[in-house]
Amino acid sequence: MGELTAIGFIPGRSLLHRLDPRTKQMLLFLLGGLSLNAGVTFLGVVTLALGILGRSAGLSLGRTIAETRYFLYFLVFVFAVRAVSFSGGWIPSVSLPALVEAGMVCWRLLSVVLMGILLMASTRIAHIRAALVWFLRPIPGINPRMAATMVGLVVRFLPLILFQAREMSDAQRARCIDRRKNPLVRLRHFTIPLFRRVFLGADELAAAMQARCYSNDRTLPALAFGRIDAVALGVALLLAATVFIQ
Amino acid sequence: MAPIIQTHHLTHRFADGTLALDAVSLDFNAGELTVIAGANGSGKTTLLRHLNGLLMAQSGDVRVCGRSVRDDPLAARQAVGMVFQDADSQIVGETVYDDTAFGPENLGLDREAIDRRVNQALSAVDLVGLENKRPHHLSGGQKRRLAIAGVLAMQPRVLLMDEPFSNLDFPATCRVLERILDLHRQGHTIIITTHDLEKVIAHARRLVVMAKGRVVSDGIPEAVVAGIAQYGIRPPCSVQLGKGIQPWVS
Repeated sequence: MGELTAIGFIPGRSLLHRLDPRTKQMLLFLLGGLSLNAGVTFLGVVTLALGILGRSAGLSLGRTIAETRYFLYFLVFVFAVRAVSFSGGWIPSVSLPALVEAGMVCWRLLSVVLMGILLMASTRIAHIRAALVWFLRPIPGINPRMAATMVGLVVRFLPLILFQAREMSDAQRARCIDRRKNPLVRLRHFTIPLFRRVFLGADELAAAMQARCYSNDRTLPALAFGRIDAVALGVALLLAATVFIQ
Repeated sequence: MAPIIQTHHLTHRFADGTLALDAVSLDFNAGELTVIAGANGSGKTTLLRHLNGLLMAQSGDVRVCGRSVRDDPLAARQAVGMVFQDADSQIVGETVYDDTAFGPENLGLDREAIDRRVNQALSAVDLVGLENKRPHHLSGGQKRRLAIAGVLAMQPRVLLMDEPFSNLDFPATCRVLERILDLHRQGHTIIITTHDLEKVIAHARRLVVMAKGRVVSDGIPEAVVAGIAQYGIRPPCSVQLGKGIQPWVS
């Protein structure tokens, strides 16, 4: 289990750690939403801020790259698709405006993902859950505590499922699954046992939660919106204004 | 004194027709350390899940502190804490603190009481200082002790432990055993299921043997252990060497 390294909460006392989880989620929605349509100025300021905040929260650049490598491969694919065009025949062509546009798209996506990573690295799942309960409370027809628990469990167990998938893949490669060339056969051999294991694990988890008296009326962590949160939101709004500076 | 847990003709049949428990009647007294032994599939885990209110009796009855588990399963779960065989499936928190606090939070305690209980539970299992560590980065023995802490934080009267030594190396087994014996000395009622008697039997005053869902032997370990091999359970080495039951750790 030592290799289970998907980025999760890193204990600390940095500025991000001290922000109210509701503030962090609001910043994520606000700045993440604006990033998807932002220009160089906004993205540059946001990226710089993310770098400084990430560093102070204990997140190293090397680890971030290592943990997001599959997403980075995806970005390379997106960049290639956006940059290369086949106008007028089979020969690919690349133009400077297309390269710039592709780079901007990738930069926008990367900044949103980095915001999510920073939120996860600086906030306990319990606090994210408590903030979600607060946000969902006014919405009719939703049980906020149950919804927040479900989100919390998904976030908590996704790395574990990925770890199990990797273990299962290694075990199958050790028995020469690579010699089976049919991808459908390989997929069947991989997915069915993985799903079985995940469902059995989910059953065990439900029993373990029941055994510890799980209820919807749990004590949630106390959330406190302080001056530091007001300042952070103010700065974020000023930052948001730069999105209109082109 | 009335037993803290009673089962009366407890029967459980799985959906596929397998008879997991067949008219099991047992009484457990407060402060006892009882070992329930049996081969795989003998019904040990199913019995524990009935005592904790995770399963309900199809026929027969389970009573915890005099109250039927069927009538008040939540009270049973509060009074009877269960440590699962696979610690990974029991750990739900993002950090050691979060996981230990999970039970008290479910009980609706205030934050101060939760913090107090978490500190007590972690110090009882020697995990103080690891509060912010991610559970899945702990060693096997530490995870098992965290699972115990998660249950202790609910302050149950009875601790059920399902194969608490499985998949542990020698030092980790010793530490888990020492913590269990500490808890017993502090007055906890402890019920341990195992197919490996070696490690714990010297400290128990009662041994219950199960086979095919039935209780086939029940008494003091010295009397029960002699004929135990016929039920698929390996007698401790010291018994096989004719030296009687000897403690596994000094």
